[in-house]
Amino acid sequence: MADNDTAGNKPAVKKMAVTKALKFDVDSDLIRRLAALLEETGLSEIELGDGDHRLRVARGGVRDIIQVETTPPSAPPPGVGETAPAAPAAPGAPPPGAVPSPMVGTVYLAPEPNAAPFVSVGDKVAKDDILFVIEAMKVMNPIRSPRAGTVLEIMVENGGPVEFGETLLVIG
Amino acid sequence: MFDKVLIANRGEIALRIHRACREMGISTVAVHSTADADAMHVRLADESVCIGPPPARQSYLNIPAIIAACEITNPDAIHPGYGFLAENASFAQIVEEHGYVFIGPTPEHMRLMGDKISAKKTMKAQGIPVTPGSDGPVEDGKTALRLAAEIGYPVLVKASAGGGGKGLKVAPDRDSLAEAMALARAEARAAFGDDTLYLEKFLTAPRHIEIQVLADEHGNVIHLGERDCSLQRRHQKILEEAPAAALNDDQRSALGNTVVEAIRGLGYRGLGTVEFLYEDGDFHFIEMNTRLQVEHTVTEMITGIDLVREQIRVAAGAPLSFTQSEIRFQGHAIECRINAENPETMMPSPGTITSYHAPGGLGVRVDSALYAGYTIPATYDSMIAKLIVHGANRNECLMRLRRALEEFVIEGVDTTIPLHRRLIAEPDFVNGVYDVTWLEKFLGNLKQLRIRAALPPVSLILGSAALPDR
Repeated sequence: MADNDTAGNKPAVKKMAVTKALKFDVDSDLIRRLAALLEETGLSEIELGDGDHRLRVARGGVRDIIQVETTPPSAPPPGVGETAPAAPAAPGAPPPGAVPSPMVGTVYLAPEPNAAPFVSVGDKVAKDDILFVIEAMKVMNPIRSPRAGTVLEIMVENGGPVEFGETLLVIG
Repeated sequence: MFDKVLIANRGEIALRIHRACREMGISTVAVHSTADADAMHVRLADESVCIGPPPARQSYLNIPAIIAACEITNPDAIHPGYGFLAENASFAQIVEEHGYVFIGPTPEHMRLMGDKISAKKTMKAQGIPVTPGSDGPVEDGKTALRLAAEIGYPVLVKASAGGGGKGLKVAPDRDSLAEAMALARAEARAAFGDDTLYLEKFLTAPRHIEIQVLADEHGNVIHLGERDCSLQRRHQKILEEAPAAALNDDQRSALGNTVVEAIRGLGYRGLGTVEFLYEDGDFHFIEMNTRLQVEHTVTEMITGIDLVREQIRVAAGAPLSFTQSEIRFQGHAIECRINAENPETMMPSPGTITSYHAPGGLGVRVDSALYAGYTIPATYDSMIAKLIVHGANRNECLMRLRRALEEFVIEGVDTTIPLHRRLIAEPDFVNGVYDVTWLEKFLGNLKQLRIRAALPPVSLILGSAALPDR
């Protein structure tokens, strides 16, 4: 749980994950076939078990991160008497130009349903332009750009949950 | 029953609540500040939400952020733990207004007991013995002098909004009353923004004895015996035991029943603790805590009841699982609060735990969110572990506690483990003859002794004493 829970526990992070036990060669064809099956059936997750080996393919979210774990999924959390866990480095430190969320809540990309988004990838933004709206306790909080630049990547999806400090978008 | 509970706290108590939830089949949501991203409660919870930066005001005390975390995770109920928002009536009200259950009493009861003057009045009306005092706010010096003469010196000047020893001054005689009031007023204004004061008879050497109660919303109320929390430093408890050595069975059941009747009279729901000072055979009500307490563990050890589980069940509207006659007190339990502090100077000692070994064996329980490699943030409370030991009687409990303290290893930071080792070897403690002033005197003497004899610090003496014979 040590390494995968940084992403797995958090409701804000959706990912496509491939889980495997130690010393288990990745069968990329099988994964491809399972991924296709996911699409076809509309399922969100398929898990296969064979002896000590387990393979899980899940989907969802806008970022299709393929994460191959190097620890068995049943590894207990670091606890009493164990050695220090490897610091669970967040899957990639925030890229340069990342704009972190100043609050926890539900993020909206547009001022109202069906309206055009505040910003899209490639847009030029000026400092203090509204980028998103984050809803917390029924209050809509406009999130303004901390600086001028070009939107390189939007890291959140409309109506999704966002944590304090989570990267909202990247401005280059 | 609830399907999902959000735990609005951190550290060992967040873990304690998580454990109860898991055993009840309830999934958990941890909330945390950026400083606690690697904390044990975050690692073990089913979901976690980062709610803000390290300062508690912007994270663990940030009501909008906690409600927003609920909105994105959709729990049935919120457990506030102790400290932070646990006794904040407006938080409880906001939680309920947003359609979640607050695991605790009603906001009205929290307000009633949160103000010390109204709490005392209410309890007195319910037949609870209270300390003689002004029975209300004292405005001017003249009234204060008249009331103090009636009460009898020494008199304690207390802030109505007080807590943690702030806004608390002793006036030994008539001449010092005005000064004590001025100091208490200034302190109370600074600490609580409310400088309402009242007077009480000052008890010179009382014991701190508290009764644990549990009530459901169907009118069932039980008590779970008492705890003696007299070992205090600057009004902070450092060691608690149950049952109290000073009480016999008749006193225990008489006080317990009085408290049960009062709680029933109030229509109170949930866990609660009614605190008393006990001197010369008399009990004097101090305050009621409307929450789970740090030292709830010793009560769990002697009753075999999971108090957090009962608290959650009651909040979900379930009736109590047992009646008063089904409660059995078995053996003796002691809790040592282990703080990341220098055992001599009590200076906080945040930092990284380089090695950690918790004691085990029969009758030994450790409630802690520590692990080797964990870094204790400087931002929060210094209590990092609770060692709780149970034995068939007080003597067995003490022997087991000594053994467990010898085994306990926390390296990388200073802890109060050496202090506890020293304390439980003291004849006064072994004999159970101590009151709320005892620990301060003991620490004072220790300091004097060391200065005079230029002895090495107690931590060094005890460090070697804990080793086998050489």
